[in-house]
Amino acid sequence: MNAKRLFLVFGGSIVFLYAVAGFYGWEFGDNKREVIPPSVRQSPGGYRSFHFWHSGYSGGK
Amino acid sequence: MSPVQASCPACGAPVVFNVDTSIVAICEYCNSALARKDRKLEDLGKVADLTETDSPLDIGLRGVYQNIPFEITGRAQLGHQAGGVWDEWYAAFADGRWGWIAEAQGRFYVTFPSNNISPQQIPNFEQLILGQNISFPNTAPLMVAEKGVATALSAKGEIPYRFQPKSQYYYGDLSGQQGLFATIDYSELPPLVFIGREVPLSAFGFPPGMVKEKELRQVSALQLTCPHCSGPLTLQVPDKAERVTCPNCGSFLDVNQGKLQYLNLPKLQPLTPIIPLGKEGDFEGKKMKVLGFVERSVTVDNIRYPWQEFLLYNVETGFHWLTFSNNHWNYVKPLPPGTVQANKLIGQINFSDKTFKIFDSGKAFVDYVAGEFYWKVTVGEMAEVADYISPPLMLSEEISDTEINWSLGAYLPKDQVEKAFGLPAGTLPEPIGVGPTQPFYDPNAGIGKYWLAFSGITIFLWMFFAITASNKQIISKNYTFPPLANNTTATQIIFTEPFEIQGRKNIYITAKSVVDNSWFYFEGDFINEETGLVQNFSMPIEYYHGVDGGESWSEGSQTSDMFISALPAGKYTLRIEAQWSKWQEQAPLSLEVRQGKSRAWHPILILIFLPILPIYALIRRGSFESQRWKDSPYNLSNSSE
Repeated sequence: MNAKRLFLVFGGSIVFLYAVAGFYGWEFGDNKREVIPPSVRQSPGGYRSFHFWHSGYSGGK
Repeated sequence: MSPVQASCPACGAPVVFNVDTSIVAICEYCNSALARKDRKLEDLGKVADLTETDSPLDIGLRGVYQNIPFEITGRAQLGHQAGGVWDEWYAAFADGRWGWIAEAQGRFYVTFPSNNISPQQIPNFEQLILGQNISFPNTAPLMVAEKGVATALSAKGEIPYRFQPKSQYYYGDLSGQQGLFATIDYSELPPLVFIGREVPLSAFGFPPGMVKEKELRQVSALQLTCPHCSGPLTLQVPDKAERVTCPNCGSFLDVNQGKLQYLNLPKLQPLTPIIPLGKEGDFEGKKMKVLGFVERSVTVDNIRYPWQEFLLYNVETGFHWLTFSNNHWNYVKPLPPGTVQANKLIGQINFSDKTFKIFDSGKAFVDYVAGEFYWKVTVGEMAEVADYISPPLMLSEEISDTEINWSLGAYLPKDQVEKAFGLPAGTLPEPIGVGPTQPFYDPNAGIGKYWLAFSGITIFLWMFFAITASNKQIISKNYTFPPLANNTTATQIIFTEPFEIQGRKNIYITAKSVVDNSWFYFEGDFINEETGLVQNFSMPIEYYHGVDGGESWSEGSQTSDMFISALPAGKYTLRIEAQWSKWQEQAPLSLEVRQGKSRAWHPILILIFLPILPIYALIRRGSFESQRWKDSPYNLSNSSE
């Protein structure tokens, strides 16, 4: 595949993706999204945000 | 016109002057040139027999040029100093003027005497410089294309000047744009100037069927014997050949009206033309026969740069060339010299809406000759040559002692040459490097247009999204978290009031906490109470600063922000679960959530990455061009070394 065809496919895809992403409000990132039934969430200890399953945030200098 | 009849003083035959202003008439019986005197005719001597030149013109032919009727009354045949003859036809116009119709190598030039030029405006023959521009009143500039000596050889009919058989005179031919043409005739004092232009045969308005059909015969070869070795020899174009080499002994032979005269036997290393002499090839729909082969060269810094030229001939199109250099081929046709105006100061020519740049120049010598030629070619013949290129075309200038010639060459891929001559594919050698006129076959041609199009679309979308962005605030609230129970597993959780989220709009979250050499971390969950959809995100806020080695430093920030993709439309609650390093203290958090925020970074990234492939294509082309120019003395990068 020569550079022109590659450019047509690749460049076209990027611009198309940008248009679609802008239209649908898509963003990069791997933030978790899942369906958790209220019964699970509302049960004691049944729901915790991901990092707090373990020992919590370990930031700092 | 009132005919005047007299008797030829040489043979007594009747001689008729049909045109009042004609000066000389040729006796049809004894070929004497007879000049009109007051009461008698003066015999100027006998003219030679006319050489057959396949001209479509003839005496008695009537036509209309620029709406003025004329009749051809006479013909003179003049000899060129380099060999060969050309015809001049004299046309008596109904308005009393004489017109000169010159015919050379299938081209026609009609000129008229110019009476509005003072003798001071006409340069002396010695002052004429080839390539020099000359301006006459009311005429566009003309370039000196040729200067030489003509010999009056033969004539027929009535001539409007004193035609002295065997007399010689100096002349200069001038050529200009759009076929402008002029001749300075130094046979008289002051010299005569004839100005006109090159025209097609159709411009003379000859009645249909009256013009002699040019013989479109196949070149009728003439079988002869070499006067040096008695070997058989064939003249392919006997009426045009001036020089031929014997294929048996290699002798140089002069050709004079089909008769051969031995000149010399040059001691040359035999060269075998890659296209055999006599072979026919199809070029532009015409059968062209290879008549001659020369090897020429220029020498620069004691390095010889040779190339080969094949002389091609077709009775309709005349002589063309095929050049062969570093296994690259060019098909070359002659041009009227005045149509090309070179700006030699900047080494550039504008021709046919193209800009040609000088590529090479020097003294070119003929090193080897074989075959048949229309001029008296000799080994050692030198010409000043200059090549200007605009791939795939090349304009070449050749200046000899007496004339300046321009030709236009076009690159011919080797497979096309093979096809033209009916050679099997792969017969001819592969080209070496990049030829001066080799076009860059760009598989990526047009990529720049696509780049512009994609960039334009990206910018348009960017503007469109920016203008239509709602940037709606959903949450803007300050929270204060009470101290944590411990510094490991304890967290604090809050829930916001329910709020509406629109579909197809991204979500932008900014958070601020007054951290000072500490951190605040929280995780958020957008929870759709109806569907159970949970969108998680996490945001650390850290800010540290201090002084180290006398220099202050800081790291992080008291604010943090992030985007997440659009969520399905619906009613959501935000759950925030937080930890912070100063767990014993309260922790403030300012939170803002917006929807439909315009993004600048995405289109900027696209605009940065889009040109990568076009730039690659440009570099590839640049590399091809640098290969092309690497051996040119006019390559700027060479000259800077």
